[in-house]
Amino acid sequence: MHLIPPTPALHAGGGCPASPGARQQALPPPLALRGITKRFPGVLALDGVSLALHAGEVHMLMGENGAGKSTLMKVLCGAYRADAGEILSDGVAVPVRHGADARALGVAVIFQEYSLVPHLSIAQNIYLGREPRHRFGLVDHARMHADARAVMARLGLQLDSHRPVHGLGVAQQQMVEIAKALSQHARVLVLDEPTAALSDRETEKLFEVIAGLKAEGVAMAYISHRMEEVFRLGDRVTVLRDGRHVATLAAGDATPDELVTLMVGRKVDMSYQRGARPVPGACLLDVRGMSAANGVQDVTLQVHAGEIVGLSGLVGSGRTEVVRAIFGADRVTAGEVRMQGSLLGASPTQARRHGLGLIPESRKQQGLALLRTVGDNLLLAGLGRLFPSWIYRPGRGHATARQLIARLRIATPGPRTAAQNLSGGNQQKIVIGKWLVAETRLFIFDEPTRGIDVGAKEEIFQLIDQLVHQGCAVLMISSELGEVVRVCDRAYVMKDRRLAGMLSQDQLSEANLLRLAMHHA
Amino acid sequence: MLDAMKKAASPADGMGGASRFALHVGGVPGVAWLLLGLGLVFALAAPGFLSGANLHNVALQATVLLLLALPMTLVILTEGLDLSMGALLSLCTVVLAVVQIGTGSVVLGVASTLAVGLVFGLVNGGLVAGFGLPPFVITLGTLGAAQGLALMVGEGRTTMGVDAGIRWFWEGAPLGIATPLWMAAGVWAALHTLLHHTRFGARIFALGGNREALRFAGIPVERSLVLVYAIAGLCVGLASLLLAGRVNGGHPTAAIGMEFDAIAAVAVGGTAFERGKGSLGGTVLGVLAVGVMRNGLNLLSMPSSVQVAAVGVVVIAALWVDALRTRGLA
Amino acid sequence: MNTAVPSRPAAPWLLLSPEQQAVLLRLLVLGLICVALSFASPVFLHGGNLLNVLRQASLMFLLASGLTLVILCGGLDLSIGANVALSACLAATTMKASGSVALGCLAGAGCGLLVGGVNGLLVTALRIPPFIATYGMLWILHGLTYWYMNGDTVHGFPPAFRALGSGYWMGVPVPVYLMAGVLLAGTFFTQYTTWGQEVYATGSNTEAAALSGVPVQARRVAVYAASGLMAGLAGLVYLARLNSAEGDMGEALTLQAIAAVLIGGTSLFGGTGTLLGTLVGALVLTLVLNGMNLLGVSANAQPLITGVIVILSVMSDALARRRRGG
Repeated sequence: MHLIPPTPALHAGGGCPASPGARQQALPPPLALRGITKRFPGVLALDGVSLALHAGEVHMLMGENGAGKSTLMKVLCGAYRADAGEILSDGVAVPVRHGADARALGVAVIFQEYSLVPHLSIAQNIYLGREPRHRFGLVDHARMHADARAVMARLGLQLDSHRPVHGLGVAQQQMVEIAKALSQHARVLVLDEPTAALSDRETEKLFEVIAGLKAEGVAMAYISHRMEEVFRLGDRVTVLRDGRHVATLAAGDATPDELVTLMVGRKVDMSYQRGARPVPGACLLDVRGMSAANGVQDVTLQVHAGEIVGLSGLVGSGRTEVVRAIFGADRVTAGEVRMQGSLLGASPTQARRHGLGLIPESRKQQGLALLRTVGDNLLLAGLGRLFPSWIYRPGRGHATARQLIARLRIATPGPRTAAQNLSGGNQQKIVIGKWLVAETRLFIFDEPTRGIDVGAKEEIFQLIDQLVHQGCAVLMISSELGEVVRVCDRAYVMKDRRLAGMLSQDQLSEANLLRLAMHHA
Repeated sequence: MLDAMKKAASPADGMGGASRFALHVGGVPGVAWLLLGLGLVFALAAPGFLSGANLHNVALQATVLLLLALPMTLVILTEGLDLSMGALLSLCTVVLAVVQIGTGSVVLGVASTLAVGLVFGLVNGGLVAGFGLPPFVITLGTLGAAQGLALMVGEGRTTMGVDAGIRWFWEGAPLGIATPLWMAAGVWAALHTLLHHTRFGARIFALGGNREALRFAGIPVERSLVLVYAIAGLCVGLASLLLAGRVNGGHPTAAIGMEFDAIAAVAVGGTAFERGKGSLGGTVLGVLAVGVMRNGLNLLSMPSSVQVAAVGVVVIAALWVDALRTRGLA
Repeated sequence: MNTAVPSRPAAPWLLLSPEQQAVLLRLLVLGLICVALSFASPVFLHGGNLLNVLRQASLMFLLASGLTLVILCGGLDLSIGANVALSACLAATTMKASGSVALGCLAGAGCGLLVGGVNGLLVTALRIPPFIATYGMLWILHGLTYWYMNGDTVHGFPPAFRALGSGYWMGVPVPVYLMAGVLLAGTFFTQYTTWGQEVYATGSNTEAAALSGVPVQARRVAVYAASGLMAGLAGLVYLARLNSAEGDMGEALTLQAIAAVLIGGTSLFGGTGTLLGTLVGALVLTLVLNGMNLLGVSANAQPLITGVIVILSVMSDALARRRRGG
């Protein structure tokens, strides 16, 4: 489908070419990003990305986890400030320092972040901060609710506008978020996976609304992982990878496989390759039909000694929830979790006792006590084993810590340095080291190399390799598909809180992982 | 993220309807049942409880507490707390008495007590919003400060003999209805309008329910927070007019512990300490419930200490019920 | 990526841990206050006055030590003052009724421990926020004490018991020995047991501690129970010193104990602080109040000064955290 003037199939620089010769339309796009670069500590999230949003067009934004899609949109709507590059409104560069600036430009956003106030009504939430008022400055409830009902009707949302939001289901709350954005009568609308929580009926309704907005000339940026959506709604598709713009093509010119290839293909620059892999031994972790209070349903998996098993899937597919339930941090409601035969699931204390260890997703919030020393953090999980008499001897403690520091090559002046002073990679080593003291046999890693530079990543992989050669086992969540393929022996894939399937060693490839994760079965 | 949304929509909260009260039984808020129950118990057990004079007395005594509990509701809605109210109230009565008697002017007295209340409110709000410090610690500190100032300004004793103008606030009866009732109604109306009919009111819910939503909408969070505490301080100043009128002067320890009754009334009335849930109407019923309990126990010759303990038990029970409900039994 | 290990010898100051630095700093402040007061008032350096200060500070420390544990673990206990009163009154009446000092002490300590346990359960099992749970308990205990005493005063206890609070041994007030004992025992538990390490970790980052397998709920109940026990013991000493018990004992003690803990460098956010620091804090506060007395400042100003000190301490703690990036 060609709803826009024909453009070359692939662009090197991205977006709509700004050179006068190629300009087909007289008007510049309502909103465009040019050369946006954004850095976070330890990672380059966006590198010179450009994007143009045209009136009456749905511009799909695709890429795997961490490609930079959400970051780019956050720069667009003022939640982040770019380190370099500019934002152009109708061709003129404008500063966007916070949300208010973006709103003044006519940009409305539907994020997945929760921005509803639980005990206010639907109408109040939709108009928070912009409530219509009477002459005397008091809120005009009648008009507010009437306007709210009108917006909700457009979405087919049949709810009482007086209802407080906290009683609504997740899908309904997402619809209220959408209503909130629609009510702003924006000329640019950003949607970040809006249908993730919606049922088919609500999704259809949303698509109708989007078609209507297209006719009205609203420019839309739409992040999605669902192929059906991309081809049904999208006019153009931009693929990002590793923070860079890879390609922009008309939706009609692309095929799903092409898009997947664009999303995952990368130059091979990783020096780390696994050497000989140990032969898998006895089954250490046996999970059967496990469901948990955090939403995961009917998960079955096994991990054997000597194996590195991956757990893959899109963000929000339930990977962290699975490992939390296994570790006993969230309540198991059905099924069984067994470690070397013993039943688990009661508490992390029990899990630790049976040889399980968790290196959580957010090492600063969940893995370390930042203001405590390196030594204190290293010893925490192993206190019981090191000092069975409950008497803590600092001398022995520090000696053990020093041994670990040496073994793991943690770069720190000593065990008495505060943990927060270390780099990300070294902090991660502390979290890993903590479980070594506790004589852990199965290490669960949740995004082990997030926010860590290349050199440290390699060290961590070598460490993981050592562990499995010593007879331990590793269950590893990673959003970097390349990592999963290179490091893991096999991988389970999660989708919508259930297991989508497992890939064995020969089936393991980035494309297969992504297909399983996105497959709309 | 999806998970954040799921977390916020707690499953056990689905009681549906526009329920603003913690517990609804048969369509009526729980605190109303509590009030009814207490009324029944004391009607049977305590002689003289149901007399018109006694009930009128309960209502009258409750007005001072209401002027504390209503703004306390706003503060608690923002996930805050103001422990300094009792001490501040004492301080305000002392200031009122000292200034009024010293200068002979009722107007100056009123102005000074309102000013003191406002200033303390601004200090509380400024420290909470500016430094992000836990409100209960801050207000615990200002409690000490206010208590000390009250003792110092009043030189440790009661300052008696305020002008009839001040006493009118307690004893007057325009149109046959006691002035305190007018004031209580007025403050309730004003705060109700503020909370439910102004943009600022929605902000108060958001300060407790989802502060990030406000920041994302570009609304200055710190300024709004300061304003909430300032309003509380101002209301305490108003309450001092009633109290000074009632005891005919200012006493440095007149209102010690009243903040606890206020917090109890708010908690029992269904306002939660987290996530911005609550209502002023519930607080009114809560104040009445506390008032009835104290009055009834009084009639039964129970000392003040027992009354306070009873209030404490009821608060903890109310919080327990709320905890069971909102967190489910998971 | 390796951070370079410093090659030159570090200044002596930097060899100490941040917590040791904090204590040293406060000892310095303590010394300065002493010097200032000795110039300001001729009576200050008299033996009698100093011993009195020591006695007062020891009592404050007994109470603040339990509170320190609770705050280290990331909680708060506002009920300790009322717990002191209830325990003291219970001990007093039991002593009178049974004629046995030992039984009375048991009753007092037991009461304190029980109250602490209830606080712990309210916070862990009922998941009521600590500040409101202990605040509610404060008033419940207050009411119970008043009702129990019924306006009466109980006084006149055997000299052997009174020695606990007002006596001397080898020229030093008895409470100082209790203070020393608690300091030693407490420091042992917090610094030299695995239990203590877990308490610090829980206060520093409860979620990380839980995910490291630390039984956080059990630790929290334990510290609240310990705080209650210490309140009970403080109640006994207080009773012994006053030689009488009545309903409104110890009203100012809670705020003072909080101030002592905060001055001593324990962070309200949990995870840092030492009992030694609390001791120094108790000494500093007692000296300041003592000095105010000697200089003729009205006793009514005490809550004001204490309140301002609490606010300043919390502010400086928050600023220090911000600077450290915590």
